[in-house]
Amino acid sequence: MGSLTALGLVLLILMMIVGGKQGITSFLSMVVNFGILFFSIVLIAFHLPPIAVTLVASIILLSITIFWSSASDNASATAFQASVIILIVLVLIIIPVEYWARVGGFGLEDSEELEGLSLYVGISFTKIAVSTAILSSLGAIAEAAIAIASGLDEIVTQHPKIRSKQLFSDGIVIGRQIIGTAVNTLFFGFFGSSMGLFIWFYGLHYSLGSILNDKVFAAELIAIVISLIGVVLTIPGTTLIMSYKLKRLQDKEKSTID
Amino acid sequence: MISKLTSRMTWLQVLAVVFFCLAAVLITAHNDRLYSEPILQVTKVTSGKVTKMSDEFHNVDHYHQQVLTGRITNGKYAGRQLKIQNAYSDSGAMDHQYRVHQKLFISLHTKPKLHATVKDLKRDTPIVFLLALAVGLMFIILKLKGVTVIASIVINTLLFWVAVKLDHYNNGAAVIPIFSVLAIIFCFITLLLVMGWNRKMFVTLAAVVSATAVTLLLTLLVFGATHEKGMYYESMQYVTQLPKPLFLAEVLIGVLGAVMDEATDIIASLATLKQERPQIGKMQLFNSGRQIGKSIMGPLINVLFFIFMAETIPMTLLYLKNGNTWKYSFSMNMSLGVTSSLISAIGIVLTVVLSSLFAGLWIKGDEN
Repeated sequence: MGSLTALGLVLLILMMIVGGKQGITSFLSMVVNFGILFFSIVLIAFHLPPIAVTLVASIILLSITIFWSSASDNASATAFQASVIILIVLVLIIIPVEYWARVGGFGLEDSEELEGLSLYVGISFTKIAVSTAILSSLGAIAEAAIAIASGLDEIVTQHPKIRSKQLFSDGIVIGRQIIGTAVNTLFFGFFGSSMGLFIWFYGLHYSLGSILNDKVFAAELIAIVISLIGVVLTIPGTTLIMSYKLKRLQDKEKSTID
Repeated sequence: MISKLTSRMTWLQVLAVVFFCLAAVLITAHNDRLYSEPILQVTKVTSGKVTKMSDEFHNVDHYHQQVLTGRITNGKYAGRQLKIQNAYSDSGAMDHQYRVHQKLFISLHTKPKLHATVKDLKRDTPIVFLLALAVGLMFIILKLKGVTVIASIVINTLLFWVAVKLDHYNNGAAVIPIFSVLAIIFCFITLLLVMGWNRKMFVTLAAVVSATAVTLLLTLLVFGATHEKGMYYESMQYVTQLPKPLFLAEVLIGVLGAVMDEATDIIASLATLKQERPQIGKMQLFNSGRQIGKSIMGPLINVLFFIFMAETIPMTLLYLKNGNTWKYSFSMNMSLGVTSSLISAIGIVLTVVLSSLFAGLWIKGDEN
């Protein structure tokens, strides 16, 4: 048995013990997400338009991550709508930034690994960089949207008469509580995944200026800052949708009573 | 009246952010003097001939020639006009098409006469713009809390840099001890900023540190039992030292934020629960913790999964386009990312158990 399979088994057993049925669902969502991710890469390799493939894949990935979580129906529906809107906003930021910074492809640091590979494959690597940035932000957006939507759903269930304006300010309060730690999740993920690169920079005496302009570093930094912006925008986004839904529901009730 | 006032405040804040981003762009667009490398601003581009090419895997690409005319903006030769040859492909994996107004880093050669070659694009302006946008949005939406969040990022980045420095002076021989100590300091500072100095913070710290330690031990155990079959350390990127300890240190630091996120959530909720119903027993508290934990662990695992996997996409694609099988392309590029995701997921699940356990044992109802 390979290490990968063994680790997967250990994880599955632990998740079953801790989460029961929900644990198995969470494990499956990770497996299916991987399948979709890999399939998207294969589709891009067959010269389907990278950004379009990524957008379709992203919406499927978001729905799996959100609807297979244990959030209530109302909370997951709201979280999904909010995260799709945030995804669109992020794409509108990512595309100009990637074309402006041109971080697609590989840097000089990759030279050794690229030996013997043909680089002229006819697929625009700037578009691939857009795809990479979109995909790496998905988990963070989904997580933030679920957390806020669940918190607000709880409030609505307990106080169905709450004013939608009050719900909005409650949402921002919940958002402020979760953001501090959500940002840490992202940044430590970033530190971890680019540790080798940082050690490389230090070992080869890169100056601050050359690090800031370095293609590989810039690509990773852009991906993480985009996710950060996504998480921050998820707070008002999710809250707005939730309070809009509440307002519509209350108006409907009012009109049926009248 | 109040809402009118707050909406005016919001517009002011939005304006302030726009202004802040513009200022960041303007400053970095005119900071050429700070660089010792010569910078050239392109003033004219002349397109040359285009060659169609295909490789042994039937990938078709086009190679474009271009002549860039530009002016050097800094250093000894500031103001001098230069013509530079450049070539780029449609895919642009290692080359770029340059356009008018872009600034490029160049290497100057003085013999026989002054000429230059392009090194890379100057990309500090978009980077700083994006950072300014993120910081601005955080201030608008989070207000004062934004300061704590940014402070914690800045402090952690500095500490991380110090650890990288220490690792370098030890030639990577002590990478795991150095980054383990760093991990504990990271947790202490971050949790102090998030929760303040109280009992809850220490319970969380204990849960985070032990969950990470158990995860690391479990991973080593699995590696030992399977003789690390299928671990392609040679496929790690940017490796300047022994890859296996570096890989473990990377995962250790990578999962830390998620584990803290989760432990904070669980323990804060359990502390509130205990305060509202002081008669609640240890076992009940443990079970409530597990309930909370199992609903947040799934989405959290996916956060790290996407961060670890997305960055493997370009190289995997290149492998696929170079006639490699799916299995080989996966093994050489994605398998380490999957391994990191799995180890992180194990850490996240263990945190549910340990946070609930420690909260049950040590959280009392008489404090916040």
